[in-house]
Amino acid sequence: MMSQRRGIHVDQSELLCKKGCGFYGNTAWQGLCSKCWREVNQREKQRQIQEDWALAERLQREEEEAYASRHQRAQSQPAITPFNKFEERKTKVKSSKVNTVTKFFTPSIKTPPKKDAGPFDTQSTPSPSSSASRQSTLDSDRAAREFIDFLKPVKSGREIFKQCRAFTESMVYKRDMGADELSESVQDFYQNLSERLQSQFKGSSELVEKVMDEVEKYMMTRLYTEVFCPETTDDEKKDLAIQKRIRDLHWVTIAMLCVPVDEEIPEVSDSVVKAITDIIEMDSKQVPKDKLACITRCSKHIFNAIKVSKKEAASADDFLPTLIYIVLKANPPRLQSNIQYITRFCNPSRLMTGEDGYYFTNLCCAVAFIEKLDGQSLNMSSEEFELYMSGQTSPHWPQPTAASSSSGTAALTQVHNSLDLLTGLGERQERVIEKARQLESDLIDWTDEVEQEVQSALESFPLETQNTTANTASGTASASLSAIDSENIENEQLPPPLQPQMFAG
Amino acid sequence: MATAGAAGSSGRTYSFKVVLLGEGCVGKTSLVLRYCENKFNDKHITTLQASFLTKKLNITGKRVNLAIWDTAGQERFHALGPIYYRDSNGAILVYDVTDEDSFQKVKNWVKELRKMLGNEICLCIVGNKIDLDKDRNVSVEDAESYAESVGAKHYHTSAKLNKGIEELFLDLCKRMMETAQAEERAKGNGASQSASSRRGVQIVDDEPQATPAGGCCSTG
Ligand SMILES: Nc1nc2c(ncn2[C@@H]2O[C@H](COP(=O)(O)OP(=O)(O)O)[C@@H](O)[C@H]2O)c(=O)[nH]1
Ligand SMILES: [Mg+2]
Ligand SMILES: [Zn+2]
Repeated sequence: MMSQRRGIHVDQSELLCKKGCGFYGNTAWQGLCSKCWREVNQREKQRQIQEDWALAERLQREEEEAYASRHQRAQSQPAITPFNKFEERKTKVKSSKVNTVTKFFTPSIKTPPKKDAGPFDTQSTPSPSSSASRQSTLDSDRAAREFIDFLKPVKSGREIFKQCRAFTESMVYKRDMGADELSESVQDFYQNLSERLQSQFKGSSELVEKVMDEVEKYMMTRLYTEVFCPETTDDEKKDLAIQKRIRDLHWVTIAMLCVPVDEEIPEVSDSVVKAITDIIEMDSKQVPKDKLACITRCSKHIFNAIKVSKKEAASADDFLPTLIYIVLKANPPRLQSNIQYITRFCNPSRLMTGEDGYYFTNLCCAVAFIEKLDGQSLNMSSEEFELYMSGQTSPHWPQPTAASSSSGTAALTQVHNSLDLLTGLGERQERVIEKARQLESDLIDWTDEVEQEVQSALESFPLETQNTTANTASGTASASLSAIDSENIENEQLPPPLQPQMFAG
Repeated sequence: MATAGAAGSSGRTYSFKVVLLGEGCVGKTSLVLRYCENKFNDKHITTLQASFLTKKLNITGKRVNLAIWDTAGQERFHALGPIYYRDSNGAILVYDVTDEDSFQKVKNWVKELRKMLGNEICLCIVGNKIDLDKDRNVSVEDAESYAESVGAKHYHTSAKLNKGIEELFLDLCKRMMETAQAEERAKGNGASQSASSRRGVQIVDDEPQATPAGGCCSTG
């Protein structure tokens, strides 16, 4: 368990950009900060652009072919009217605003015209990219295939696919759009589509929801690299701020937060580790729904930890402090970016009334609490709070240990607990030995008693037992064996007393 | 909320979010556990948690999915209220009839909710623990006239004796359905809801006046 905890702990220096610029790095950017990563990748990117174009075009063709072959039958009725009007409105908004940051990303090559393609396909050229987004091109290709497969048995599946693809590809070229507008567009699209599906499927909300889940999966896999932590926002700055904030709060303990979990219980500490793992995993998912699922899994582990500790079902008063504690221990990567991304691009119904939405809301609460946390929120004076924040005092160790982290102190606590356990074990062993000695002397006493009784019996009946006494005196093994069955057993020689064995001493 | 209550006039399902607000220990969790599980102070709860519970109802032939959100009631979490009650269709504001202070807290919540959400949200003010009527510290008249003055409805409940709880939730659902239908009609008349009210996490910087840190159940 200790090693698992250490696995989560990362030294401050390991998190800094490998170029030594002072910003935080990220494993997703090979240990560099976003700025350095972009510089390093710029040259490679240029080289790969040509290659990616070719690849993307091939995938595009394959996708078309796949659809043509799978959907020969279902091509007839476009029950859903396209979003032409809506599209117009959206494309008109800010097609001119191109800022320098986006230019940095945009390749010099102009979009090759695809004259042979239909109205939807003119927009569908994938964005040129580095190796990272080459991977994302592959991901979105897979997502497209899965989407097509899913829509195969769905009424007007092809129409749904075409509209989603047209919209998605149009979004790729709106990176310069503000994040709020991007979000607006996507949310408008979700809402329009789900309303159309509602009337098309005659109110079968389950089916509508299923389709909308797949729509979200397809669209967001395609758009992830474009709209996650976009250039136009300060999401990244906020990520670094909360990351640092959580580091600075390493000294906050379970007791200060009134967290109702008892990590001494193995099942509880196990659940805590799992909850930490799940919340960290959120960053690795691309689809908002999958990110939400990580938060939900994390929450279920928290509930288990509470239920095992308190022996009752967790209420919000138990859950929120525990989630705050988990977030502090996990310091999840790109926390703000993930929250913003989910907020902007998740299906709204899931966030507003669903169970996932409840846990997500609590995560937002936990982050807000951590940002504003002060002495009062931990039931301590602001002077005490400042002492902790400046590293002059620590709850676990009397001496100020600047380098100590929450994981380090947790490990120390573990060592202390183990020592306590060892002491306890030693005491128990002592008691066992004591008991063994007692048993030994009891046995000796017992043989003495028996011997005495035998003696007194012999004295009382000397004549009748003459023979046997003689037999015994002759001392052969066979004689004593037969004596067991004989009626005169009083003077039989007893086997030697049992010797207690000592196993430890 | 349009999407939450986006249950057309047809046979569609209404989905409502109801948030539980109130000081710690007034009985929020007990109320919802009584309503959804019919349990009180029972250690053998079948659910893993009691913070997010759902109930399916059928009201005058319409299906309703009720999602009940418990909130952390301790003072140190007060500022997080707006994150919880955002997009709620209804709020249940609970106080303990034996605790005058908890009634004052309800008044603060009402002010805040009306300020942030206007009249779109259905408010229920609930005086819980009426089985302890002999120790009552909030007068029935005061509570009811206050509720009326702020456009809320007042209910008396006992989670312990299972009194008034079914009525509370049923009544609230009917009111939320009316609100949703009115909204639907307004929307049909061309008034569309603003996009920002549709969704979006807004962490509102709303620091309430500093109150001494209220104890949680263990300390109080
Ligand atoms: N007598 C009485 N006690 C209640 C009632 N409802 C809740 N309680 C008790 O009040 C305490 C706090 O209840 P709880 O549901 O945890 O309050 P919360 O903090 O608002 O969620 C618990 O000890 C409950 O048993 C009630 O109707 N009558
Ligand atoms: Mg509670
Ligand atoms: Zn750097």
